[in-house]
Amino acid sequence: MATVEANRFLTRHQIGQGLRYLLAFGLAAVFVFPFIVMLLTAFKPNNEIFTAPPVLLPSRWTLEHFATALNQFPFWRYLVNTLFIAGMSVLGTLVASPLVAYSLAKLKWPGRQVVFIAVLATMMLPPQVTLIPIYMMWNGIGATDSYLPLIVPAFLGTPFFIFLIRQFLMSIPNELIEAAKMDGASELWIYWDIVLPIARPALVASAVFQFVWTWTDFLNPLIYLNDDKSYTLSIGLYSFLGAHGVQWGALMAACVLFTLPAIFIFIFGQRYFMGGIAAGALK
Amino acid sequence: MQPFVYGALRGGVIGMAAAMAIGLAAVPAQAQTKVTFSYLWGGAEGQALEQIISDFNASQSDIVLEGVSSPDMTKQLASMSSARGAFDISDNFAGNVAAWADQGILLPLNDYDIDLSDFPDSVMNQLTVDGQVYSMPIATHTYQLIYNKKLLDEAGVAPPTTMDELADAIKKLTKVDADGNVTQIGLGSPSLDNSIKTLGYAFGGDWNRDGKPTPTDPGAVEAVQFFYDNVIAPIGPEAYNRFVAGFGPYMSDQDPFVRGKYAMAIDGEWRAKFNQEAGMDWGVVPVPGKTADLNGATGVDASTLFIPTNAPNKEAAVVVLKYLTSPPVMEKFSHVLGNLPARKSLAESTAYNDLPHFDVWLSALTNPNTHGLPAVLYMAEYNTDLVSAFDAVAQGIQTPEAALQSVADRTASYMQ
Amino acid sequence: MAARNSMAKDGRALLKGLAFASPFVVGLLVLYAYPILASGYYSFTDFSLFKAPRWVGFANYERMLADAKFWHALYNTLFFTFVGVPVDIAISLAGAHILNFKLRGQSLWRALVYLPSIVPVVAAGFLWRWLLNAQYGFVNEILRWFGIPQPNWLLDPSWGGIAVIIIMLWTVGGTMLIYLAALKDVPVDLYEAAELDGASHWQRFVDITWPMVSPVTLFQVIVLAIAFLQIFTQPFVLSKDPGLTTQSAVGPGDSMLTYAIYLFQNAFMFLKMGYASAMAWVMLLVTLAITLLLLWSSKKWVFYGNR
Repeated sequence: MATVEANRFLTRHQIGQGLRYLLAFGLAAVFVFPFIVMLLTAFKPNNEIFTAPPVLLPSRWTLEHFATALNQFPFWRYLVNTLFIAGMSVLGTLVASPLVAYSLAKLKWPGRQVVFIAVLATMMLPPQVTLIPIYMMWNGIGATDSYLPLIVPAFLGTPFFIFLIRQFLMSIPNELIEAAKMDGASELWIYWDIVLPIARPALVASAVFQFVWTWTDFLNPLIYLNDDKSYTLSIGLYSFLGAHGVQWGALMAACVLFTLPAIFIFIFGQRYFMGGIAAGALK
Repeated sequence: MQPFVYGALRGGVIGMAAAMAIGLAAVPAQAQTKVTFSYLWGGAEGQALEQIISDFNASQSDIVLEGVSSPDMTKQLASMSSARGAFDISDNFAGNVAAWADQGILLPLNDYDIDLSDFPDSVMNQLTVDGQVYSMPIATHTYQLIYNKKLLDEAGVAPPTTMDELADAIKKLTKVDADGNVTQIGLGSPSLDNSIKTLGYAFGGDWNRDGKPTPTDPGAVEAVQFFYDNVIAPIGPEAYNRFVAGFGPYMSDQDPFVRGKYAMAIDGEWRAKFNQEAGMDWGVVPVPGKTADLNGATGVDASTLFIPTNAPNKEAAVVVLKYLTSPPVMEKFSHVLGNLPARKSLAESTAYNDLPHFDVWLSALTNPNTHGLPAVLYMAEYNTDLVSAFDAVAQGIQTPEAALQSVADRTASYMQ
Repeated sequence: MAARNSMAKDGRALLKGLAFASPFVVGLLVLYAYPILASGYYSFTDFSLFKAPRWVGFANYERMLADAKFWHALYNTLFFTFVGVPVDIAISLAGAHILNFKLRGQSLWRALVYLPSIVPVVAAGFLWRWLLNAQYGFVNEILRWFGIPQPNWLLDPSWGGIAVIIIMLWTVGGTMLIYLAALKDVPVDLYEAAELDGASHWQRFVDITWPMVSPVTLFQVIVLAIAFLQIFTQPFVLSKDPGLTTQSAVGPGDSMLTYAIYLFQNAFMFLKMGYASAMAWVMLLVTLAITLLLLWSSKKWVFYGNR
């Protein structure tokens, strides 16, 4: 009797679990399907792209679109440009944001609340408000058409990352820092030797976020970069459409090439990334 | 030890001499001025231009011309705002000349001794503000009625020569299948903007008179009404737009005209080269006018070359400008692109004979009914508003009259 | 003596704090405070990239009142926000529950859901143009399988806006993961107690889950509202008319004309920087008003437990 009950329970449990997998699969499919279309279109011969109704699988796999994409716009140059900007932005974020976050989380000084509120307020600010004056400023010192406008802001601390790292640092026990002070450690030493190592997950999350943001940024490179040799991939891809009408196959191939590095970085930093997202949720 | 030091010494001396020799040889190269040509063209057109650029470099030794393809106009504009420009010469369209000249970003060309006598007035008017020339035309464009011969023959329709015939042809060439799906439309609009503006001229209207925008000019209103009544209304905006959504990219191997999605269209001269290469059976007639004397009334646009005021090497850029607009170079360039030339003397050139039906567009250059929107400040904004209005009509959101009236209401704020 | 000591101490603390915070203090002044004031000043002038500002008083603001396109863009943007944010929240919460199931390969499911958020927006825009094509697109093909009417997404004014929202919703993964973290934080004993009381799934959600995640909801609603109010790239790429040099409307019937796009057009295409600055300030006020409204209303629906 008892065993029959257990079996029935097990099957009901199994059915439930099966349903859950199905739901999860359905959810993931909705998000991933567009990628699959992107990928398959990139490998499809031209005459199979325009079919109504659309057909998912190519009858013949081809690399011609990748060749076209790589030939018609300097992918490698844009890749290096984008990597450079993203890399410098990440460096800037790692240098500046934790400093500010530490000051707001663990140092007691008059005005600290004001600065913290300013951090929160600037997170809310529509970038359009500052867009034009900042452009005029960079233009005034002749720095448009250089990477400075795209890189320097990261070295001045990004509100979102300051907030994220501050939230993380709040959880470090004060006793740890007090104890180090008792031992005569200087503030910088404490920061460098105690705080930063503990904050590693938040730092990696910030770095990955910053990387992906810079990687995908469109408006800023659009406004600041004029020389096509200094374009980023975003702008290169956008111009690609302008210059060549729509060659959907080549365009999708270019999109695949553009997206892959971001996915690579994402997989690499996934563990920290998820932690960062969770930490970003207001505690 | 000794031989080695000696050897090194001797090597050094020889090396230095060699370096000096190279340095001396390099002096003339240093004296060359570098001119950057940033152009909006890309793809095949860009390649044609690169060919002309290398021709130029081979033709002289003072200037090194370098081409950069940069097809975004906003970026082009932004780069002209910095103190030292990113390019010395670039291309644009006539519609922007006045606004840009007013901003002081186009180099005035009157002092550079350019002979203007061979350029059509209808084109130069678009490039001249207060007597000062700010851009030079490299190619021009006019719009006429192209048609798919096979589809017209099948339907037993002759190429239209009057507005009534055009309306009739559109009706006969629009096909709806048993399920109510549109399978072919009579008149396609590769660019709603160009189609309707041209119709406006064909109805004897103008979009700008006496230095003022005239969106509610009777001819303009009639044109939009004609477009709505004959193209949109018979099948309804919903069905029309659903059909248009299925068009492949313009001038690709999925081009909707080549594929027979529409039987006729008002389109520019570049179609001659393209249609021929696509191997289709097609023809072209002047856009029918409301009255016989308006037959072939159309608009002329110009692709222009200009030198920004922040160009690093203005003098050298003028040399390049003169070269690019010289008769043989202009002929070669416009021919490769399948565009109309911008010189009257080239209108007679036999170089274009291999482009079928090219003369229909070419003749518009000398037609008195050919209009050009003049160089006025508000043109960019006016065009954006007109396009919005045409689109609203094609979507059935607004009646032609209401849509054009809303543009008229907006024109008041242009002058601020 | 003691007072002077503490003052000196305060001073040292201030210096130290400021020194650490200095990158942001500089950033605050240069990248935020000055630009905000400057754009406020520009909003009262007539000025372009190339010419010096000329004072025109309230002319730009008056012009806005009469500018039908301005109102149209504002309407579109508010429509995106008021439809997009609630749907975004609902999908995120539902998805977070699915991700919270005890399944194998947790991190894989999460990664797949988050993947669209790292796709460059330009690439996403092109991809969705292709997917939403009425004739060749897969979205309508799938709708056809299920016998659902297939809208003409990119050429029907009543669907153009929905298309933009769909693309925005594709990147809902980030919000979903934040909710997932919040769900994991809800004490299990609360659910166990409710289960003993015989509460249904829905009751447990209403009585426990929703209040417990409500602080996260507040934060997310604010962040999402700001993101929706600023939509630029998605409609910009979605409406670009390829292959033609002539201009086109921003989506059918200008249905994708967002506030940010109209601002950009005014600033960088029509060279009306003064007008664009005035628009930016109005945008700031609208954002502020919506944020304050949300914070004020939060007293009624956000539950701060003793966590």
